[in-house]
Amino acid sequence: MIELSNVVKEYTVIKKKSGLSGSIKSLFKPEKTIVRGVDGISFRIEKGEMVGYLGPNGAGKSTTIKMLTGILHPTSGTVRIGGISPQENRKSVVKQLGVVFGQRTQLYWDLRLGESFELLKRIYRIDEETYQSNLEMMYEVLGIDQLINTPVRQLSLGQRMKGDLAAAMLHSPSILFLDEPTIGLDVEAKQNIRSFIREMNAKRGTTIILTTHDLDDVEQLCKRLIVINHGKVVEDGPLSELILRMAPYRLLVLDLSEMPDPQTLHHHGAELIKQEGLKLTYRFHKSDISASELISGLSAKLSVVDLGVKEPDIEDMIREMYRSSSTA
Amino acid sequence: MSAYYYFFKMRILTTLAYRFEVFTAVASNAVMLLATVFLWKAAYRGIGSVQEVSQHQMIVYAILSVVMGAVLSVNVQDDMYYRVREGHIATDFIKPVQLLGMFLAEDLGTTVSALVNRAVPLILLASILFTPPLPVSLTAFLLFVPSLMLSFLLLWLMGAIVGMISFWVLELGNLGIVKDAIVRILSGSLIPIWFFPDWMGTVSAYLPFQYMYQTPLSIYIGKITHSQAGTALAIQAAWIAVLAFIAYAVWQRAKRVTLIQGG
Repeated sequence: MIELSNVVKEYTVIKKKSGLSGSIKSLFKPEKTIVRGVDGISFRIEKGEMVGYLGPNGAGKSTTIKMLTGILHPTSGTVRIGGISPQENRKSVVKQLGVVFGQRTQLYWDLRLGESFELLKRIYRIDEETYQSNLEMMYEVLGIDQLINTPVRQLSLGQRMKGDLAAAMLHSPSILFLDEPTIGLDVEAKQNIRSFIREMNAKRGTTIILTTHDLDDVEQLCKRLIVINHGKVVEDGPLSELILRMAPYRLLVLDLSEMPDPQTLHHHGAELIKQEGLKLTYRFHKSDISASELISGLSAKLSVVDLGVKEPDIEDMIREMYRSSSTA
Repeated sequence: MSAYYYFFKMRILTTLAYRFEVFTAVASNAVMLLATVFLWKAAYRGIGSVQEVSQHQMIVYAILSVVMGAVLSVNVQDDMYYRVREGHIATDFIKPVQLLGMFLAEDLGTTVSALVNRAVPLILLASILFTPPLPVSLTAFLLFVPSLMLSFLLLWLMGAIVGMISFWVLELGNLGIVKDAIVRILSGSLIPIWFFPDWMGTVSAYLPFQYMYQTPLSIYIGKITHSQAGTALAIQAAWIAVLAFIAYAVWQRAKRVTLIQGG
């Protein structure tokens, strides 16, 4: 469906020297350096997948999305969507794509929201019936029927984002690119948008590619993650598998009522990693022992007042991926 | 096609929404109108005609030149520069439309609405203060209309070509101003080329600029006779072909070097 092989994108950056003499030198003899924004990325995404495309700022995420949508041309390598190059056949490829850039809108600032939709209907040549039924669906899922007569410039950020999502889905695209769709939104708006994304994927089988820095987005939406850093793919796989590999342990935190006998602290299935007075933290692997087994084993020996099990922290996991790929 | 028509229609609606802008534009054009007409009145004092153009003809030329400038709206250069600079070009490229077609439709929309909200008040004002800027004959008017349309295309293509440079250099800045100044002088919109030395007339004949303003205006006032008008229109059309070819070639390259500002 979507295929990238060995895609490289280079930029020429003109290095500005400081000071007056530096500026004059730069004017006549600019010092150019070539920077690789994307450095040999390959992956394949099948129809109906929901993929999180992650990476720290400047990793090359947006550049990749822009090559997938035909906006940018790769320096080398090939991009194919449904077997067609978005660079060579931009118009026929973008017909099947919906794109939302969280940081900018494709709606017309001065016009009513409904007029932007009318325009898209004509741009994508959506027939009346499909248009009406899609619009109905957007009203239902996003609750934007109240906003249709409001000029876009008067919409709040959350409302505008809903408008942009609806605009991207009106022509029933088979692939939806979302570039930071929840950026700057409040908790409720984020939830609305996530349930919209889930629904589009479930009901219509829309392939969804999501770039985000919001790890709740990742946890709630993405079944697969592609993580890039410095323009290279550092991880690619199902979220559950990545968690199992990168962060396979859970933590058990116990609060005791009295100081324990150091002899009784040991348990064969878990490792005591921290002891602060009456608070104990154990680390155990899901595959070695179940939480209930560990709890009953420990509470037989210790006077437990309170306990809690912590799932692996996805944020720590991602941070670890970014960190290890930076030092490598 | 209907998408471009909608771009056209929406631009008319948007332009009509900004009443204050219309008011300020008419006001500034009115100042220009007064200044040029008074200038020509002073220049012609005691002179019957220059190059077979009478004072009355020259005043009609000046009035109509201001009206043309107010009506023929070529925003493609600034729009393109702005959209590339601010990164909005990304949202244009994700739509299955020809971008140049979209810009053209929008400029046509502005031009059509300017016929109503700029040309009408300016012509009324000129008629009250000076003289109704009537064409020399009905035939002249009928030849002027297609020539005016060709002028719009010439101006538009020139704007589009310069605008495309913003794909390479992000600071278009002065280049646009230089181009606008060249068009202003060499198109005869301010002073007809026949007032300049002969050698400049010769050079100018081989450049596209004078066909942007001077040709339709000369047809209107009768400086170009009916029989010469056919040739004039053909030269305009030929320049359109040349500029369209250049615009197309530059555009094919511009698309490949797109840089998106701001992530």
